[in-house]
Amino acid sequence: MVWRLAFRGLFRNPRRTIVVLAAVSVGIAGCALTISLNSGMAQQMVKTAIATELGHLQIHAPGYEADPELRILLPEGGVRATRAIEARLGDDGVRAWAPRVQGQGLVNSPRASVGVRVVAVDPEAEARVSAYADSMVSGDWLGEPGRVVVGVDLARRLQADLDDKVVLSVQDLAGDLTGRAFRIAGVFKTPSMAVNQSTLLLRIDEAQQLFGLGDQVSEIVVVADADRLVGSLRDSLSRTLGDSAEVRSWQELQPLLVYLVEVMDQLAWAIYGAVFIAMAFGIANVLLMSIYERTREIGVMMAVGMKPRRVVLSVMAESLVVTAVGLGAGLGFGALCIWLLRDGIDLSLYARGLESMGVGSRIVPVLRLNDVLAPAVMAIGAASLASAWPAIRAAGLRPGEALRRV
Amino acid sequence: MSDSIAEARGVRKVYDTRGVETVALDGVDFSVGEGEFAALAGPSGSGKTTLLNILGALDEPSEGSVIVAGQELGKLTATELSDLRLAKLGFVFQAYNLIPVFTARENVEFVMELQGVGAAERHARADAVLEEVGLGGLGAKRPLELSGGQQQRVAVARAIVGRPRLVLADEPTANLDSETAARLLDLMAGLNRHHGTTFLFSTHDPMVMEAARRLVRLKDGRIVDDSRSAGG
Repeated sequence: MVWRLAFRGLFRNPRRTIVVLAAVSVGIAGCALTISLNSGMAQQMVKTAIATELGHLQIHAPGYEADPELRILLPEGGVRATRAIEARLGDDGVRAWAPRVQGQGLVNSPRASVGVRVVAVDPEAEARVSAYADSMVSGDWLGEPGRVVVGVDLARRLQADLDDKVVLSVQDLAGDLTGRAFRIAGVFKTPSMAVNQSTLLLRIDEAQQLFGLGDQVSEIVVVADADRLVGSLRDSLSRTLGDSAEVRSWQELQPLLVYLVEVMDQLAWAIYGAVFIAMAFGIANVLLMSIYERTREIGVMMAVGMKPRRVVLSVMAESLVVTAVGLGAGLGFGALCIWLLRDGIDLSLYARGLESMGVGSRIVPVLRLNDVLAPAVMAIGAASLASAWPAIRAAGLRPGEALRRV
Repeated sequence: MSDSIAEARGVRKVYDTRGVETVALDGVDFSVGEGEFAALAGPSGSGKTTLLNILGALDEPSEGSVIVAGQELGKLTATELSDLRLAKLGFVFQAYNLIPVFTARENVEFVMELQGVGAAERHARADAVLEEVGLGGLGAKRPLELSGGQQQRVAVARAIVGRPRLVLADEPTANLDSETAARLLDLMAGLNRHHGTTFLFSTHDPMVMEAARRLVRLKDGRIVDDSRSAGG
C-alpha cells in the first residue's frame, strides 16, 4: 500500500513530478558526464605517462631512484633483470620489455641550441613498450644508424626539419665532453608537452658508444599484460632481483601523478556532493509542498487508523520513487551522452593547456562502475534524508489538526 | 440505556490561535451507548465537531478524560490511538475526504489493508459493502469521477467496512442535496438497524436531527439538551 500510494503520488501533480524528475535526472546525467570526462582525462594522463616515460615498471641499478645519474647503471645490459623478466613473459605476466639509456645533452641545429633529455632505445623493443613509434607525425621511426627522432616542439625550437643535421653534445661516463652529428629521421607528437619539447630519441647502441657505457643500460622498462598485474609483478621481480636492482611501479616513480589523479577523483566527489545537496533541498522543498497540499489527506489516513510509522514510510517512499525514476532517467541520459561522445570531445582550443598536463586534445569519457553506483547510493541517501523531515513532520500531526487544515 | 461505547468526562477544549484562546468545549459530560443512532446539534461554533473529534481520538481535550471502548485515550500512545481508531471507529467527513489517487474500491479496501485483511477477503468485502451502499459496479471509479452523493456513500462504505463499533459522522449531509441526503440517512439507519453499528452525527441538518433517535444540543461548548425519541 505504501508503494502503491507512492507510485500513484507521481501522477497527483504531473507537472510538479516532471519538474522534480527533470531536476534529478539532469543533475545525475550532468554528474555522470562530468565524472566520466574527469575519469577519461585522468586515465589519459596515466596512459600517456605509462606509454611514454614510465611503462608499468622500471628496473634500475640500486641508488638510481635517489640520484638518477648516468653513472648508476645496470651491468651487462641488465642481463640478470632481463632473465627474470623473460621468465615472466606471457599471459598474466609481462607483455613486453625494453632497455633504455637516459641522459642529458645539448643539441645544436644550424639555427638554435636546446638542452634535451636523451632517451636511447632499442627501436624494435621500444615500439612494444611505448607509444613513441606510433606517435610519429612526420618521417620515420628509429632504424638506420646515425639518425634521431625528436619531439614536435623540440623540432620547432631547433627550427629543424626532417633530414636536417643536428649535433648532439653530451658528457660521457668519464666526464669528458663529446658529441656526434645525427640526421633527424622523424618527428613525434605525444599528448605530453614536456616530452614533445625536450625529448630526443636515438638508438641505444649509438648512445652507449657516445656516453662510453659499454653494454650497460640505465633502465629496463616493463609493460605488464594488464594494469591489475603491476603490483604482483613488481613484488615478484623485487623478490627475484633482491638488492641487485630497484624495481619500481609507475605509481612509485610518479607519486605526483597518483596524487593528481586522486585530487581529480576527490574533485569529482565534491561535484557530486554539491549536486546532491542541491538536489536534496529541491526534493525536500517539493515534498514539503506536496505534504502541505495533502495535509488533509494525511489526516484522513491517520484518522482511519494509519500508524505514524506508516505515514513516514509513505512519504519517504514517494520521494524514493521520484528519485529512483529520476536516477534511472538520469543515468540513461548520461549513458547516452557518453555513448554519443565515445570518440571523444575535441578540445583543440585548449590543447596547449591540456598537453602541459599530459592530456591530449581529444578527451574520451570513461564511465566506471563506481561512477554509476556512487550517484545511485548518494541519490537514494539524499532523497531519504530530504524526505525524513517532512515525513516525520507529517506523522507528528494530530489527525484532527490535519483535518482542520484547508 | 445501553452500554457506553464512548464517554467524555468533564471535557474542556481550548484552542489557542496565536495567543487568542477560544473555548470550544466547556466541561462536557457525555456518553454514547452501543447501538445508538444519535446526533449532536447546535449552531456553528457550539462544539459539535470538537466533541466528535475528541470522542474519535482525533484530538485531545485540554482537560477531562475520554474513554472509548473501555480505554482511556489520555493513557494511549499515538500508535495505540491509531490501533484503536482502526479497530473500533469509523469516520465520515463533511467533505468526503476520499484518497483521490485511489479508486472507490481501493478507498474502501484501504481500512482493511491497514487491518491486515488478506487480498481476497478485502476484495469480496469491499464489493459487498459497495453493493450495500448502492455503488455496485462503480468500484473502479476514482473519487473525482463520482458525484458528491456517491463519494459520500464511498466514505460511508469505508467507515463501516472495518466493522467498527462506532461511526462518527461529521455533517455527512452538509454538501448533499436533500434527496441524496435522505437516501444516505436511510442507508446509515439501515446499517444501524441491521448490523447494530452505533452512529454519532454532528449536524445542523433538520433531516438528520429528525432521523436521530437521540438528539444532544450544544451551545457555547456546553450540552443544553439531551433528548431521546420514543423509539430510542
